[in-house]
Parts: sequence; structure tokens; C-alpha cells
Amino acid sequence: MNNMEKNRGNLLLEFFSEEIPARMQSNSEIQLQNLFVKSLTQRDIAFESFKTFSGPRHLSIIIKNIELEQKDLEIEKRGPRFDANQKAIDGFLKSNQLKKNEIIIKETNNGKFYFHSQMIKGKKTYEVLPDIINEIVNSFVWPKSQRWANTDLKWARPLRNIVLLLNNDVVKGKVEIGKNVFLNFTNFTFSHRYFDKKIVINKIENYEQLLEENFVILDRNKRLDKIINDTSSLLDKRKFKLVNDKFLIEEVVGLVEYPNILIGSISKEFMKLPREVLSTAMRVHQKYFSITDKENNLESKFLFVANSIKEKDRDFRVIEGNERVLKARLSDASYFFENDITNTFENWNEKLKNVLFYESLGSIHDKIIRMSNISKIFAKMFGVRLDLAKQAAILSKADLVSEMVTEFPELQGIMGGYYAKIKNEHEEVVKAISEHYKPKGVSDDLPETKLGSLLSIVDKIDTLVGFFSIDKKPTGSKDPFALRRNSFSIVQILINFKINLSLNELLEPSLKEYGCSSHSIKQNLIDFMIDKLKYVFSNKNNRMDVVNSVLNTKIVNDLPIKIISSRIDSISKFTKINDFKIFLANHKRINNILKSEKFSNDAELQINPKVFDTIEEENIYNLSNSFSKEIIKKSICEKSQDFLINYLIKMNEPISLFFDNVIVNHNDYDIKINRLNLLKNLHNSISKFSIFELIED
Amino acid sequence: MSVNNSFQKIITSLQSFWIDQGCVLLQPYDLEVGAGTFHPATVLRVLGPDPIWKAAYVQPCRRPTDGRYGENPNRLQHYYQFQVIIQPSPEDIQNLYLESLKFIGLNPKDHDIRFVEDDWESPTLGASGLGWEIWCDGMEISQFTYFQQVGGIEVKPVASEITYGLERLAMFIQKIENVYDLDWDGIDKKKGGKTYGDIFSQQEKEFSEYNFEKSQTSFLFKQFNDAETECKNLLDDKKNFLALPAYHQCIKASHIFNLLDARGVISVSERQSYILRVRNMARSSCLAWMGKLNE
Repeated sequence: MNNMEKNRGNLLLEFFSEEIPARMQSNSEIQLQNLFVKSLTQRDIAFESFKTFSGPRHLSIIIKNIELEQKDLEIEKRGPRFDANQKAIDGFLKSNQLKKNEIIIKETNNGKFYFHSQMIKGKKTYEVLPDIINEIVNSFVWPKSQRWANTDLKWARPLRNIVLLLNNDVVKGKVEIGKNVFLNFTNFTFSHRYFDKKIVINKIENYEQLLEENFVILDRNKRLDKIINDTSSLLDKRKFKLVNDKFLIEEVVGLVEYPNILIGSISKEFMKLPREVLSTAMRVHQKYFSITDKENNLESKFLFVANSIKEKDRDFRVIEGNERVLKARLSDASYFFENDITNTFENWNEKLKNVLFYESLGSIHDKIIRMSNISKIFAKMFGVRLDLAKQAAILSKADLVSEMVTEFPELQGIMGGYYAKIKNEHEEVVKAISEHYKPKGVSDDLPETKLGSLLSIVDKIDTLVGFFSIDKKPTGSKDPFALRRNSFSIVQILINFKINLSLNELLEPSLKEYGCSSHSIKQNLIDFMIDKLKYVFSNKNNRMDVVNSVLNTKIVNDLPIKIISSRIDSISKFTKINDFKIFLANHKRINNILKSEKFSNDAELQINPKVFDTIEEENIYNLSNSFSKEIIKKSICEKSQDFLINYLIKMNEPISLFFDNVIVNHNDYDIKINRLNLLKNLHNSISKFSIFELIED
Repeated sequence: MSVNNSFQKIITSLQSFWIDQGCVLLQPYDLEVGAGTFHPATVLRVLGPDPIWKAAYVQPCRRPTDGRYGENPNRLQHYYQFQVIIQPSPEDIQNLYLESLKFIGLNPKDHDIRFVEDDWESPTLGASGLGWEIWCDGMEISQFTYFQQVGGIEVKPVASEITYGLERLAMFIQKIENVYDLDWDGIDKKKGGKTYGDIFSQQEKEFSEYNFEKSQTSFLFKQFNDAETECKNLLDDKKNFLALPAYHQCIKASHIFNLLDARGVISVSERQSYILRVRNMARSSCLAWMGKLNE
């Protein structure tokens, strides 16, 4: 055994509590490892590796090859210079309670100084562990936590036992969880509830296996694997498929200590319910998975993960019980569905008058009226029929007061679509209603249809503008109305459908609906949207500097989104071309000259062609003027973006010649100013296209 | 053995189980309440004065909006809860609960029991706690809460509350799909035995009609205001206030609010202010009970 091994050992810490909410478990593992590593590092105790576990009741960490003793620590304190007066030296001795023979003189880079050095003997790890554990317990942050009995400590659920073993021995100590309330460190934990056995851990290396023998799989990945493997072996032979549900499976992993996959049946009578109703009733309330055949048709079966050990009789009972519960749930859902289809959109819309959208933003009914007004304006731009655009907006929120959506809010939109179909609404309207909440996040699918996209955008713009108009815009990390996500969705749709609308055109009708004429609110909205445009464009594999160069132009809020998009594409394409690189270099040179002259305004500057005394000046003058004209003519033509860049490239030679042959900083003030103005005007007209100086080489 | 799992047998079994755990066996509070929690034995008692308080009782509860005219097999506007409140929360409270299930013929080892996160909050009582809903084979049969706050006041020491939904539990034990088919007394029908429906279906029908159609909202608005005024009056005299009668008025107001809600006459914007008014009554009553009204 070498020296390193002799001074090292393994450590086990386990927090055993009542059932911790599934959603908090993964993160608690990370937190435990971070806090532990931090505490050890602060105390200069090294270790080799660690492994963490989390489940409903057991949260633990094994640290391998941890040092059993802290390193000795030498603390050196510098005193006065060696030639300082006696008073200073005495002062140093006194304030540190030192004797004369306890200080020495040492040479440093700054000369000789008195020093006192002190060796602090490293403590045994087991001596400092109680402090560390107390530190961890007290710094732990749960998304939601509670006290219990007489404790002051807050934990996600009552903490009942703490295992602390070092080299297989219990570390002596305790954690204070309340006034005179302690948990002593122990060497035992508990089995699955079925056996409710106290389990003594004799060897850390057996910990995981020992618990598995007692039907607790500590490692959440192992539980996940078991669920996946057992599921596929059950389903494959019957040629079934599980409907993939990442969130649900992650949650279920946190609800069971020993997963037992079971399959139940759904009474045939319920299979006529909309598919989403079935799967939502199963998923949200019961945490059941849906099953389909190979062609993706829903089977009248459901799969669930029990927290039990396989046993035929019990499994049979458990399945039967779950089937009964689901039947009750689905009869409720059928009841809602039957009631809803006898109701009318008119009746629902009438009810929406009493449903508040937000204080001072009116009712949901007010919202659909605003949405329908805006839809009419945008309909043509989206290439949809005006009457359909209006109708989709008017019907879009009715389902919010339907019985089904009251019970299952996550079915909003989807139910509206079903009900619109039953009422024989136009199929585009049906589809638009059902998909208008999309995309729900940056990674969600966009609406498939034009009308759906229009409805989605109009809904979101109304929300965004409304909250901005009452000064409820997101601040810092606070975004209670999800306006950031909301505007991401708007931008994604705009870009994807190459919408020929500028930010101004997009926001103006909605601002008008709210009777909001504040210039600063509009500017805030535009800045907010530009920010999201930048994010979405750069996420589409565009260079950030190219994105910025276009979106930072002064007139960007008047530029149709599809032009912004194609301009970014064009510039990105050209960045690889040599001629364009030359243009960029020239442009940068112009920019540097102007920067050093501190031109502040962007106004058109007066240039006097009579002052020109070179052909190069005249050339630049003409180029600048003609580019100005071109950009006015072609700037908003999607296909002309390449043309405009080529136009810029054509300036390479004249600009180079200008720099080669013309001295800007001329002795004659008038000539100098005239030349600077010339460059400034050229720069101004180029900057209407893109702020090229932002593009990096 | 139908006798052993009748509705009334489940109640008496739970009662004797919790009596054995040292609980005071109480009777229902004699007012309409939305949940067993409203009973002063829970709301006020967890705020003191005894550091140890253990009580168990059945409480009929009313949720006017859940009425379905006796036609829905799972929803009732009047139903029963069995409530256990123990302060401070004992270390083995989860096991005690599982033991109690055994006692009413539901052996946890024969089923899939799960503790699923479900935090509880009562906006009208200004009360909140953390806990679980307890699932037995996918059915929620109980609610388990560690009380953190009542009337906006920290509960110290923390109390644990267990609420058994008696109908659900009995339906599970009797393997019944319609609440009205529940065996109430374990006596054969021919010998005069009664089901839940025999006793309550008429009541559900009539009260659903009352809750949704017939209640006079003008009376109710007045009653709400009267209860609120009475509650304030009872707490007005800072030297001689009456906490229990004041809280009694708070419970009344809360139920009247639920009745108004069922009639759909409280708009969304008003809703919040009604809830706040009840909460203020609850808070003042709680403070009065603790003798802290003047602070």
C-alpha cells in the first residue's frame, strides 16, 4: 500500500427524507456535489472522484479516495521593515501576541521585512466532517421547502436520517435542525416501503447493491434504464409503441424506488374521445403513458410505472385499480365533451366578456375583438382570406370557457379546433384555432398553416403590446407574462414565413388598438423585438457580427423582416469572398478616419463639387450618390440584396485610388472639410444597408 | 365480508385507530365548510395555546360548484372528510397513516402506494403547507400536509394534517364505480340496508338545483356583508373581543362566497376582493385567538 492510499479512504453521505418531489431530485444531486466539493476545497481536503444518487427518499454521495487528514497549513504574516523603529516592531508583536523570538527577518522583492510564520496542524477529516455536513445542510436551497415538528431547518420534505460513513465507520457528530433538535449521523438507512426494513451499511462499496437487494435503485439512470428496457420488452412482443414523453418519464423516475411496468386497458367506449383528451387525462392526472400501434394509432391501452416489486396477484390488483380510476377520469372527460358540443361559440364568447385578460387590458372578449381587427390588416400579407382571418380570431378563445378546457387547461386551442370542426367551420379556421398557441418555446414546432401563423402572431402581439403599454415589460429575470418567449415565437414565425412586414408595421395596428401613442413604449417594443430577432438569427447559424451589422442599422424598424433575413443571408454569403473583404477593409478605413474626426450627426452634409481637385473625389461623389439612389430603389427588394453588395464591391477600386492619391487631411481647411464630408456621405449611405464596421475580419 | 368495509365501518375504524394514537375524537363543526381544515379544531388550535394538539373528526364538506344533480358517479356538492390533525408532526406520521389504512382493510403491501407532491393552499384562510396527495393504485385517497401557515401566521411547531376523502376511499375499498352504490351500513338491502344513494341522492339533486338555480343572490350578498360586519364587531373591542364567534362568522362568509360563486355572479375582478375579505376575517380571528390582535 503506498502512502497516498494509506492516507485516503471512501466516504458516504446519505440524506434520507420523506418523499421529495420528483421535479427537485436531479437538481438536488448537483447541488449536493457542488456544496460538498466546495466545503472540501475550502478546507484543502483532496479527493479522487464522487458519485451521487437521488430518488424519492434517498439523496446520497460517495466520495472516493478522500484524504483522511487536512494538509498542514503555514500562515505567514508580514510585519514592519527590518529597519523600522522599535515602536513599529513592538506594535506588530503586541497586536499579534508574539514574543521577540517568534519573528524572523526575510528578504522579499521589496526589501527585508519581519515575518512571523505559523504552522497550523491539519485536522483529521472526521473531525471537520460534522462542520461540513452542517454547512451543506444549511446552504441547501430547495425550490420549495418546509419546516416540520420543532425544526427551524427547511428541507423539501422532512429529513429523517443522515448516514455519514468514513472508511466504513460512522462519523461521530450531528446536525442541528432546530433548537435542541438534532439528527445524529448513523450507519443505517431504509429499504423500500414494502418491507420498511432498517438496513445497516457495513461497507460503502456495497451500499448501492445492498439497497438494490432491498428494492431501492439509488441511481436514477439505472431506474430510467430499467423503465425503458422493461417497457420495450413488454411492448415489442405485442408490436406496440410507447408515445415518447421525455418529461413524463423523467418525472416517473422520481416517483419510484423500484419501477414495475404495468399495462392496463381503456374501455372501448372512450376511444371516440379526441386523442389529445385521452392522452392528457392520462398524462396530467395519472402519469400514464399512451401506447400506439406501429402506424401511430392510439391503442386502447395505457402503460404506467408502479413503485412495487413484481408479483402476479398484486400487479393484477394494481392494474384493476388504475383502470377504475382512469375510467372515472374519462367518464368525466366524456361528460365535458358531450356538454361542450351542445354548447355554442356565441355562448362561450358571451362568457368571455366576464373573463379578465388582465387588469386594465380588458376581458378576453376585448382581446379577440382587437385580434380580429389586426388580423384584417395583416390578412393579405399572410396570403389568407380576410373573412377567414377575422373568423379565426373571433373563435380562437371560446374554448377557454368550455368545460373540457376548464378541467384540462393544456387542451386550449386543441379543443377549440375540435369544436370548430364539429360546428362546420372552414377547415383553415379549424386548423388555425388548434395551432395558434404554437410555438410554445424556442424548440417547439411552428404553426403549419398561414392562417394559423397569422392567428398565433396576432394573439402574441396583442399580449406583448398590451403588457408593454401598461408598463409590465420584463425586467431582469422577472417575466411573469412570458413576454420573452412570446416575442421569440413571433420572431420565429416572421422569419420562417418570410413575412413582408416591418417591425413598425407589425406593432402599429396593435398600439392603435390599445390607443397607445407613446413614442417611448413603441421604441421599447422595437428594441425588445430587435433583441429577439438577433437571438433567433444568430441561432440559425448566422455570425453574430453579421446579424448585428444589419439589425443595428438606423432604419431597421422600417425594414420588412424578410428583407432583414435575406440581407443577412447575402452578407453571410459574401463574407467568404475576397472582393468583399477588400470592401470591408476600405470601409473600415473610411470609418476610422471619420471616427478620429468625431463626426457626430448623420445629416446629409453639404459637399461642394467645385472644391474637388481630383478625379478620385469626383468618382467617390458620383458613387455615393448613385448608391444612395440604388438603395432607395432596391433596398426592400428581396432579390436585390446581392446586387447591392456587388454594387459596393464595385467601389473597391475607386476607393482604393482615392486613398492612394488623395490626402484627406489637406492644408486647406475647405478642401479638407469637403473631403471629409464626401466620405461621411458615402459612409452614411452604405450604413443604411448595413453597419459594416461591426463585421469582424 | 361486506360488513367490514361499509362506509360507516370505515369511519368507526378510523376513529378508533386515531383514538389509540392519542387523538381527541371530535364531532363535525356545525356549519357548512368547504373542507375539514376549516374546523376551529384545526385552524385555531394549531396556533395554540397547547404545544401538543391531536384531534380526529369527520367533517361534512360542501362545494356548491361540484354539484351534478346526483348524475355524476364521482362528484358531489356534499361529501365527507375524515380529518386528523397532530401537532407537532410526529416522526413516524407517514407510517401511522399507512397503519391506519391497514386498519380499514387496505393493506399497503397489496397495493401501489405513492406520495405525490401536492402543496396545499387555502387563499381564504391565508393558509398553506407542503405535502402530498396519496395515491393507492392511481387513486388519490388522502391528502397529507405539513402546515406552515394559517391566517398568514407561522404554525409553530408544525402540525401534520391528514385528510381522508371518505367516499373515494370507500369506493376504492368496496371496488365501486358509482359513489351512489356505496354500501353505507353493511346490511343486506332486503333487510333494510342502505346505500349512499339511498341516503344522499335526493339531497344532491335538490342542493344542486338550489346552488345553481334557486339561491337568492341578493340574500346571499346581504348575508356575506352581515357576517363580515358581525365578525368585525366581535373583534372591535380590543379588550373584550370574541375570537371563536368571530371565526364562526368567517366560516359563514366563506360558504356564502362559495354559493355566490356557484351562481356565477362574482366576476373575475371581484373574486379576488371577496377572497381577500374572507382572508382578513380569518386572519383577525386567528390573531384574536392567539391574543395578539393588539400587536
